[in-house]
Amino acid sequence: ASNARFYSSEIKKCTIIPGDGIGPEISAAVQKIFSVAQVPIEWESVDVTPVRGPDGKFGIPQAAIDSVNRNKIGLKGPLMTPVGKGHRSLNLALRKEFNLYANVRPCRSLEGYKTLYDHVDVVTIRENTEGEYSGIEHEIVDGVVQSIKLITEDASRRVAEFAFQYTKENKRRKLTAVHKANIMRMSDGLFLRCCREMAEKYPDVKFEEKYLDTVCLNMVQDPTQYDVLVMPNLYGDILSDMCAGLVGGLGLTPSGNIGLSGALFESVHGTAPDIAGQDKANPTALLLSAVMMLRYMGLNDHAVKIENACFETIKEAKYLTGDLGGKAKCSEFTNAICEKIGR
Amino acid sequence: TTPIPIALYGGRHAVTMLPGGGIGPELMGYVKQVFKYAGAPVDFELVDIDPKSDETNDLEYAITSIKRNGVCLKGNIETRSESTGVQSRNVAIRNELDLYVNVLHCHSYPGVPARQSNIDIIIIRQNTEGEYAMLEHESVDGVVESMKVVTQSNSERVARFAFEYARRNNRKKVTTIHKANIMKLSDGLFLETSRKIAKEYPDIEHNDMIIDNCCMQLVSNPHQFDVMIMTNLYGTIVSNVVCGLVGGAGLLSGKNYGDHYAMFEPGTRNTGTAIAGKNIANPIAMLSASIDMLDHLGHKQHSELISDALRKTICEEKIHTPDLGGTATSTEVVQRVIDHILQADIRAW
Ligand SMILES: Nc1ncnc2c1ncn2[C@@H]1O[C@H](COP(=O)(O)OP(=O)(O)OP(=O)(O)O)[C@@H](O)[C@H]1O
Ligand SMILES: Nc1ncnc2c1ncn2[C@@H]1O[C@H](COP(=O)(O)OP(=O)(O)OP(=O)(O)O)[C@@H](O)[C@H]1O
Ligand SMILES: [Mg+2]
Ligand SMILES: [Mg+2]
Repeated sequence: ASNARFYSSEIKKCTIIPGDGIGPEISAAVQKIFSVAQVPIEWESVDVTPVRGPDGKFGIPQAAIDSVNRNKIGLKGPLMTPVGKGHRSLNLALRKEFNLYANVRPCRSLEGYKTLYDHVDVVTIRENTEGEYSGIEHEIVDGVVQSIKLITEDASRRVAEFAFQYTKENKRRKLTAVHKANIMRMSDGLFLRCCREMAEKYPDVKFEEKYLDTVCLNMVQDPTQYDVLVMPNLYGDILSDMCAGLVGGLGLTPSGNIGLSGALFESVHGTAPDIAGQDKANPTALLLSAVMMLRYMGLNDHAVKIENACFETIKEAKYLTGDLGGKAKCSEFTNAICEKIGR
Repeated sequence: TTPIPIALYGGRHAVTMLPGGGIGPELMGYVKQVFKYAGAPVDFELVDIDPKSDETNDLEYAITSIKRNGVCLKGNIETRSESTGVQSRNVAIRNELDLYVNVLHCHSYPGVPARQSNIDIIIIRQNTEGEYAMLEHESVDGVVESMKVVTQSNSERVARFAFEYARRNNRKKVTTIHKANIMKLSDGLFLETSRKIAKEYPDIEHNDMIIDNCCMQLVSNPHQFDVMIMTNLYGTIVSNVVCGLVGGAGLLSGKNYGDHYAMFEPGTRNTGTAIAGKNIANPIAMLSASIDMLDHLGHKQHSELISDALRKTICEEKIHTPDLGGTATSTEVVQRVIDHILQADIRAW
């Protein structure tokens, strides 16, 4: 019910967070492709570089928060998170701020880009607000640290419901709950119980339960045995990246964060500081995320047109970026897509 | 550390055998058969643990037996009870015996069809704490906390084990796997500790990688890895991914070590409930675990005899069970292994 749909007659405002590293380059590429495709949206670009708030802590600037709250829909490039110290992950803060409780990552083999695995078509749905990412940690005594994984019934139930709804709406074949309830009996046990209860409300969706380790084992042997997967936060983070690896890496896979009052779409990859500012990045992941966003907004015709142009460009293999074994610049790849749309 | 005490009677070793559930019992049967023909001087002390019972008598007996013998061969023990008060038996045994490190040598078998070839990775995993601490509680209705515990002392033992292992086995690089960008304190401690220990081993390269990136790298470019160290949960993930890449759950064996005891088992610790009793389970993983055990006990001749026979059967004659795409039954594979043992020129006894 929260999925407010928008119609193509009106021009809709969308927030865009270009991000760090390769973020600005790939965001520009997406914006260019969107304008050539005459997508009826207007971008509102915001900066989320942390500022010191009234409480003295660093956080997201109020202007950015207001923009997303107003538009209820946004596209985001990668943000930098320092390892081991400093301010908390901004990605995390955004997810919390906007209550983006479900992270959806479709991974599909691209025709024309050969990897070890053909015919991969899995969607991971990850609980996005709690679990191992609760951020509650402390040192009890010197040299002994505890991190708390938090699992609540409310969060588990709503992500389970989203997963069943998604599986049904997209006419997918089966939903697998991934867990480790043999070890984490109470926490993963609770998550699993919520999925089981939801399964009863969706008798027409085929449902199964699998251990995390079994899924890891099977996924790399034969990914076609899975379809849609739902799981707690950390498992989703890991499995979605692994699935991305099966189809050719992070440069290709999109993702959407669905929340109670809006949605934020982002590329799965990081800031790739090694190639930032050199016009070498692959914009496909962010572009396909933007395509997911169009579908979420009900702009299906534009979505199909852009997606096809992107897939065709990859299949032709004339303008591939370095991560796909090509020599093209980000801008050349982008131009090739624009040309196909313009035709 | 003191050498591991092992029970030795008249030149024979006593070893605890925990078959566990699923395919465990049949695989143990194959090990016994192969040991008989190879003349391996080992007497097994069998302990069955009832998966349905909430009682811990069996479990305590198993632990006592391992403490006495020092060495154990193990299948996966199921914990059927859904009661949240009952611990996983497997975890309880590892914790009680302080088997703080799990070592999995993941290598490709030439001749076995797999997604990747020429893999040769050592996975070293913290085996007794982390996400498997099993400290959980329901604070209020519908809100559960699960504690992940990381200690400096255990992190240090694992890191030291890894670098010593790398040095002794002529390995070049150790990679620490973590998620310290999110779990800044717990994974941060594990990472910092491994960095500190790495300084004592300047001859070995050390780097680190975030677990999600690691899994992506494993499926796209696995040959960059040499020795890997990680906390408990990442261990089960990485082990299963790499085993999947080289041919599945039926091939590789894992070793669990503490300062006093050693336990050998199939690498991915699967129960195999669905394939039990059908004569299709791959016997290689458990046989390989038994070879590790013979090595550990110092019976080199016997271990070589059996591993030669395994290699001939699997890599040369390609007699494979269905999980490897073959048509052989478990017993056909085992029989072939026994035939090779009988044909070997150098009898071990
Ligand atoms: N869009 C892209 N196009 C081309 N290469 C990419 C892209 N995204 C990632 N890569 C490559 O993958 C590598 C790892 O990716 P990523 O940036 O996600 O991790 P990271 O370096 O840890 O960044 P962060 O700290 O922001 O997560 C990069 O160094 C880069 O070479
Ligand atoms: N020795 C073996 N030979 C062949 N296949 C195996 C073997 N061990 C495990 N497998 C396969 O590996 C996969 C995972 O094993 P399994 O189902 O036992 O996982 P599990 O997580 O332990 O679940 P369960 O406790 O329900 O058995 C299964 O497809 C199983 O058939
Ligand atoms: Mg990730
Ligand atoms: Mg298992």
